[in-house]
Amino acid sequence: MVAGYRTHVSIIADILSTARQYSYEGYDSGATVTHLIRKANVPYQRLSSIVSSLKQSGLLQEDSARYRISQKGIEFLEAYSEFKGFAETFGLKV
Amino acid sequence: MVEVLFELPMNLLGLGISALIGRFAYSGYSTVASPNLLRLTFAFFSIALGFTLIAVGLFAGEYSQAITTTGLASQALGYFFIAFSHSLKSFDLSPPKYFMLLPLAVTGFVIPGNSIEHLVRSISFILLVYVSIETMASYMQSRKTSTLMIGSGLGLLAGAELMSWYNFIYPDSFYVAALSVKVAGFGLMFIPFSKFGLANGLGRMNSQIGSGL
Repeated sequence: MVAGYRTHVSIIADILSTARQYSYEGYDSGATVTHLIRKANVPYQRLSSIVSSLKQSGLLQEDSARYRISQKGIEFLEAYSEFKGFAETFGLKV
Repeated sequence: MVEVLFELPMNLLGLGISALIGRFAYSGYSTVASPNLLRLTFAFFSIALGFTLIAVGLFAGEYSQAITTTGLASQALGYFFIAFSHSLKSFDLSPPKYFMLLPLAVTGFVIPGNSIEHLVRSISFILLVYVSIETMASYMQSRKTSTLMIGSGLGLLAGAELMSWYNFIYPDSFYVAALSVKVAGFGLMFIPFSKFGLANGLGRMNSQIGSGL
């Protein structure tokens, strides 16, 4: 069995949760690209395309090269957590 | 008549459970755009369609056999989608491992002779055994009771298909038991699902986040 495989959705969730951490938990200036790369563990090129689509979807907000999670992004993370549990009961990954 | 009185509620129960799970999986797909949730959606809607066709087949007279077989084929397709989700997790699709499934698939066409219904049942059985083993393997990793219940439910479905297939040799010997075990299997799968589906108002159909990812 393959271990440690991450799906595209789980990478998005990692990026959003990093942005949330830097939006509310004492770091309210937002996350930098370096923060996102380090926490989400993805190369810069891939991160750029994901962040771009997240901004277009309104899940992430950019302000002076710093990223903050939007209300829609927080709702996405909550839904992700819920459906992750659902998929895991089938032994699947979201 | 007695057969219809027993079969109809059982099929409608199976239809209700699979439709609820399918709807929840769809709400998950529409919210987080996960391919696995899309596969689960196809799987459970296909199984629900199968139950519908089997129920309709009870009143279809001379077309009963054909409609029932179509319903079973629809359910087999649903089991395939669940198995497909697991195969992506467990196999790296390199030829040696991938083709290990080939002999299993062939036995489905060899064992039942010329009956299409039993061909379909044996394919369903193989898929369900595979999915059940995969889910149990996931349980061994996660040790989650809900995963154990889903795995057991799928195992019961496999047992039900085996019993139904046995009718090919001894007609009507296990038919009622097979249908009961099948619905019990779906019931077992519904228990962990109800934690998500009912507690959260069937997902977020009304608050579509619509991430568009």
